[in-house]
Amino acid sequence: MERGLTTRKIVIAGVLGAVAILLGVTRLGFIPVPTAAGNATIMHVPAIIGGVMQGPFVGLVIGLIFGVSSFLDATIPLFKDPLVAILPRLFIGVTAYFSYLSLKRVNEYAAIGVAGFIGAFTNTLLVLIMAVVRGYIAPGVAVTIAVTNGIPEAIVSVIITLAVVVAWKRLDHSGNKKSKISGEM
Amino acid sequence: MAGFEFELSRNITIGQYLPTGSLVHRLDPRVKLLSFTILVIAMAICDTYVGNIIALAFAICLFYISRIPISYGLSGVKPAIPFILILAVLQLMFYNKVASGGTVLVDHGFILITSDSIRLVIVSALRFIEIIFLSSVLTLSTSTTQITHGIESLLRPLKYVKFPVHEFALIITIAIRFVPTFAMEMEKMMKAQASRGAEFGTGAWWRIIQRTKDVFPIIIPLFNVAMARAEDLVLAMEARCYTPGNERSIYTKYKAQNKDYIAILFCILFASLLLLFPFPY
Repeated sequence: MERGLTTRKIVIAGVLGAVAILLGVTRLGFIPVPTAAGNATIMHVPAIIGGVMQGPFVGLVIGLIFGVSSFLDATIPLFKDPLVAILPRLFIGVTAYFSYLSLKRVNEYAAIGVAGFIGAFTNTLLVLIMAVVRGYIAPGVAVTIAVTNGIPEAIVSVIITLAVVVAWKRLDHSGNKKSKISGEM
Repeated sequence: MAGFEFELSRNITIGQYLPTGSLVHRLDPRVKLLSFTILVIAMAICDTYVGNIIALAFAICLFYISRIPISYGLSGVKPAIPFILILAVLQLMFYNKVASGGTVLVDHGFILITSDSIRLVIVSALRFIEIIFLSSVLTLSTSTTQITHGIESLLRPLKYVKFPVHEFALIITIAIRFVPTFAMEMEKMMKAQASRGAEFGTGAWWRIIQRTKDVFPIIIPLFNVAMARAEDLVLAMEARCYTPGNERSIYTKYKAQNKDYIAILFCILFASLLLLFPFPY
């Protein structure tokens, strides 16, 4: 079935969106890092996983859900600005998908790991650029945050993306757990 | 388990809805969503003292009109106060290069405080409170079903550029529907791990790596449970012949009334006042 949206894409986007919201509201998605920005986050990981597994549209929608929920739930004034909270998040899943796609032929596992890294990095970079452009933080502070928050976030994101996507791909070989109507993947 | 709540589902305020039957509650959800968007954009752009104080007064009025206790809005602001203060100090100290306009108030070594940087701090704090108030009114006066129906019918024009509107609304419905389910699953997993001796949130704050590692035994099973649930749902939907992209009839139909037109007109006027009126301060 080669048409754009399959039932599986719709459902996975919804379910991973739910995980993104949940990580935000339970504060489990925050890793305390003692910097100006307060916390590193893993809330962007659902968007990366969605992008890697189901393509750019799913990644974009999950990014949108993550952005809107972080916008509604924000406790830092910075993220009460839709241009900072929502817009940069749309690209997380998309860049993750394309980095996965380009490396897939070389090595599947490496591709998944790199996608996790690039996705997390997209989040850090674009959010900070928007924050500087909108005048919430000074460029110097932004660089510090990129190093102190961005690097741990990227590492954690690689580990989780690899673990989840590999586990999910294994389901494929283990028999009839998945519906076959929505096509392969 | 000091300092960590196991009762996750109790803390989730998503989909919290306060039925008071006020005028705001009875407005068309499409109108509410549109007005919300217009007002948030206006508030995000407006950068004068007077404009933001008027906007804050307007947001407070909304609580009275919708008969929602203002404590609901304040509970969203309260946890943010330390962040606002820290950020204010940081902005004052490091922002001198970008916001160097205005009169210089303090110039002592590397600290340079200008009237522009003070304006930036106060306005962004006000803006933050306004938007929290506005979004609490929206979510407390509109049920999640109404919001998804509203989004679906607002986005309907996008159908002509082949945007999958119905599918998009379905994704959002699924997402909201599954949040409490996953919260329950997560509770179960945390209790299971804790009964085997895992510790959550008890490590000292500077042991970042330790605290990060603590999270993995919860997060990774959570994703796996989520994917398993997703596969079940896919199977269930396909067994009922769900086909994306098919024409579907709608159960709830919204019809805008006079009060809806008045509300949206008022919001547009208010937003253009914030954006276009040259406030002196």
